[in-house]
Amino acid sequence: MEVETSSSSTASLVDKAVVPGDIVLDLTSMSDQTIRLGAGLRQYSDVLSVVKAGKLKFKKPNKYWVESSQKRYAPSVEDTVLGIVVDARADNFLVDIKGPTLAFLPVLAFEGGTRRNIPKFEIGTLLYVRVVKANSCMNPELSCTDASGKAAEFGSLKEGYMFDTSTGLARMLLSSPTCPILEALGRKLSYEIAVGLNGRVWVNASSPSTVILVSNAIMRSEFLSDVQQKILVEKLMQRVQG
Amino acid sequence: MFEMVELITSSTLHIRNNVRADGRTLNQLRPLTCSRNLLNRAHGSARWSQGDTTVLAAVFGPKAGTKKGENPEKASIEVIWKPKTGQIGRREKEYEMILRQTLQSICLLTVHPNTTTSIIVQVIGDDGALLSCAINASCVALVDAGIPLKHLAVSICCGLTVGGHVILDPTVLEEQKLKAVLHLVFPNPPLSIHHKTQSLLKDEPIEHGIITSVMRGVMSVPDYEHCLDRGRIACTKISEFVRRNLQSSAREGLAKAT
Repeated sequence: MEVETSSSSTASLVDKAVVPGDIVLDLTSMSDQTIRLGAGLRQYSDVLSVVKAGKLKFKKPNKYWVESSQKRYAPSVEDTVLGIVVDARADNFLVDIKGPTLAFLPVLAFEGGTRRNIPKFEIGTLLYVRVVKANSCMNPELSCTDASGKAAEFGSLKEGYMFDTSTGLARMLLSSPTCPILEALGRKLSYEIAVGLNGRVWVNASSPSTVILVSNAIMRSEFLSDVQQKILVEKLMQRVQG
Repeated sequence: MFEMVELITSSTLHIRNNVRADGRTLNQLRPLTCSRNLLNRAHGSARWSQGDTTVLAAVFGPKAGTKKGENPEKASIEVIWKPKTGQIGRREKEYEMILRQTLQSICLLTVHPNTTTSIIVQVIGDDGALLSCAINASCVALVDAGIPLKHLAVSICCGLTVGGHVILDPTVLEEQKLKAVLHLVFPNPPLSIHHKTQSLLKDEPIEHGIITSVMRGVMSVPDYEHCLDRGRIACTKISEFVRRNLQSSAREGLAKAT
């Protein structure tokens, strides 16, 4: 059988669903350009091939990536994630970020961190951290400061409730403009939320019933459109207050 | 005279006018269904059924650490086959080995070195073509878990009847009477944006090679090549089905099993 091809010569697979093995770009005609590859793409000599199923995306001038949603996380630099402390060593904390390996959080990677004021995190502490190094061959490295060294909301999250979601839902919650579900919930309730790109969400509010309401609404909103999300929140509010 | 006739008909498949016992033609596959993301705790899961043969595959990983004898510069794959009934014996170990080697060739092992990905295959129903069903289910489960793959692995089961016909996707009753049963795994044809030199090859099947071939029984070389041709064409249809399934699931989102 033939290889499926697009009919016009300039058509491409951008914004279409792709499957591992699909060839996205033929690089023989582009020897002088720089192309940036994101997640889900791999270069095989002179073709760009897809390795994860998802939707192919393109951002001008030269960025290609495959957007997909999984339960596990593939660490990449400058992502903000929620990690759970698994062990404390002399030099760094071992933190689980739902990736292939545990991540290291250096003991001094805090604002004004010195050997004298090392924070004491117990096993099981939830942390909001930033990924600093992410190579495939080493354990990822994290930091509780932003690029300039300030604390900037990073650190341990106390109280509240944490639940797991897919990476796709986490990205949707962090999209700008504000995700409709968060905006609709925020109009009726007051709550605090931290979203990790590794598929973890932390919610805190003054009463447990609000926390449960917000968490359930977020978990159910993954595959709903904007309008459906607003309707979901309205129905939940009616049921609670009615 | 009557007794002899009975013996012959009970040991051969009833194929009259190229129609098999259950009404299918020689090349017709049973209805395929595939659902993904069924299991809550597994990182990827898929349920694949061809007629009454149903297999549930679950993927966990990548997890840190490899086993003792494995190369730490590559990811390693571990397969656990769980039969529907009975204890785990040599047949299950053989299936595990075949599945492991097939999946090792489609996974990109250098992306996450020193990790282990576990695939657990649970047989829910067995009505022929079990290994093919398991391979298809495992491949979709790997895609669901986001494990990087070079391409998909699409599998088909062919059989050679005593009369010399090649049938696809046999049931258990048909398998018992076949001269040879052949499981084939092919890579999926890619969706490419370029024609390259396709104008010359438009009517030929794309030579993308073969991943796995497992045969039980005896067949001649021309028959084997015949099976390969039929199997390759059937696998193209199956990989279109998988592609459609992966596209639509991404948008709808499947309900998790309770």
